[in-house]
Amino acid sequence: MRALAVALVLAAMAGGCGRDGDRDDVQAVTDRFYAALEAGDGETACAKLSTDTRTELESQEQEACAEAVGSLEVEGGDLTRVQVYVTNAKADLASGESAFLSYTEDGWRLSAVGCQPVGGKPADRPYDCELEA
Amino acid sequence: MRRFVYDNGLGLFFGTLFLATLVAQAFVGHADFNHGQMAHHGDPVSLGRYVGSSEFVVDVLENWQSEYLQFTLFILATVWLIQRGSPESKEPGNEGGESDKEQKVGSHATERSPRWARVGGLRTKVYSNSLVIVMTTIWIASWAGQAIAGRVAYNAEQLDHQEAALTLGQYLGTSDFWNRTLQNWQSEFLAVGSMAVLAIYLRQRGSPESKPVGAPHASTGVEG
Repeated sequence: MRALAVALVLAAMAGGCGRDGDRDDVQAVTDRFYAALEAGDGETACAKLSTDTRTELESQEQEACAEAVGSLEVEGGDLTRVQVYVTNAKADLASGESAFLSYTEDGWRLSAVGCQPVGGKPADRPYDCELEA
Repeated sequence: MRRFVYDNGLGLFFGTLFLATLVAQAFVGHADFNHGQMAHHGDPVSLGRYVGSSEFVVDVLENWQSEYLQFTLFILATVWLIQRGSPESKEPGNEGGESDKEQKVGSHATERSPRWARVGGLRTKVYSNSLVIVMTTIWIASWAGQAIAGRVAYNAEQLDHQEAALTLGQYLGTSDFWNRTLQNWQSEFLAVGSMAVLAIYLRQRGSPESKPVGAPHASTGVEG
């Protein structure tokens, strides 16, 4: 019976925060996006954005994503923390900014970048993002 | 084999129903989850990914924990509380743990009594409460599982709205956790309470959950 109790709790944890593969993929996508931005590689950076996020950027800037993405005012930096919950993830950067990701048919893609917490409890109010879908 | 099926009909029937409905829940829950994904401009996920996620696990465990809490409280309550006229109740005057003779423990146990009912001491004490111990253990474990998986599912929604994730301690104070918990508890307590009371006046011929059809409404603790 103790084994059943342990199994129940483990089942909950196993269905939890995100499998190791997901965490690695989230980290890789985020790293590649910021590296591409720094290198001026708009095509690669845009490929790491979700479809809706790309569409939003192009709508905001009235130009193609590969050209518009370079105008984003984001700081980037080393990843300090990755959190994965089912089909959503958050990557915190050393600069204090965060990025949000969604799991899509093409894998993990950035749904919001250049995000900062606003006043009050971060859990109660959405982050203010430079770009979001 | 036939003898096994005959002797275990009740357990096999509900075990089969449980497995069938759990599988059906997986398919329907998967469709429902993907409907939500599309509504949030997300992409659908595979059945395997959904079943392995906290979305499915919390939907399962929030129901398990309330069922086992129901059994735990019902088993305990029927030791001390009376419902006159109900087959779910002991007869008035028999409240409490009853005598060793009535419970056939220790020197009053028979050759066919379970060994731990005969041996006395701590083992008999544990065995005498084994049903509540097991039900309570499963309840607490599944409630803990609900909390752990529920936090993950809740945080997925948080991140989808660019809000911060919660720790487990923070999640235990949320309306989401208590809404999941209490919506299940209310139905369990209603079900067992209404069963105890309805069975005073209503009958189901042949069921041990009912009094005999011709038994008086006032007769308590009798089975059909």
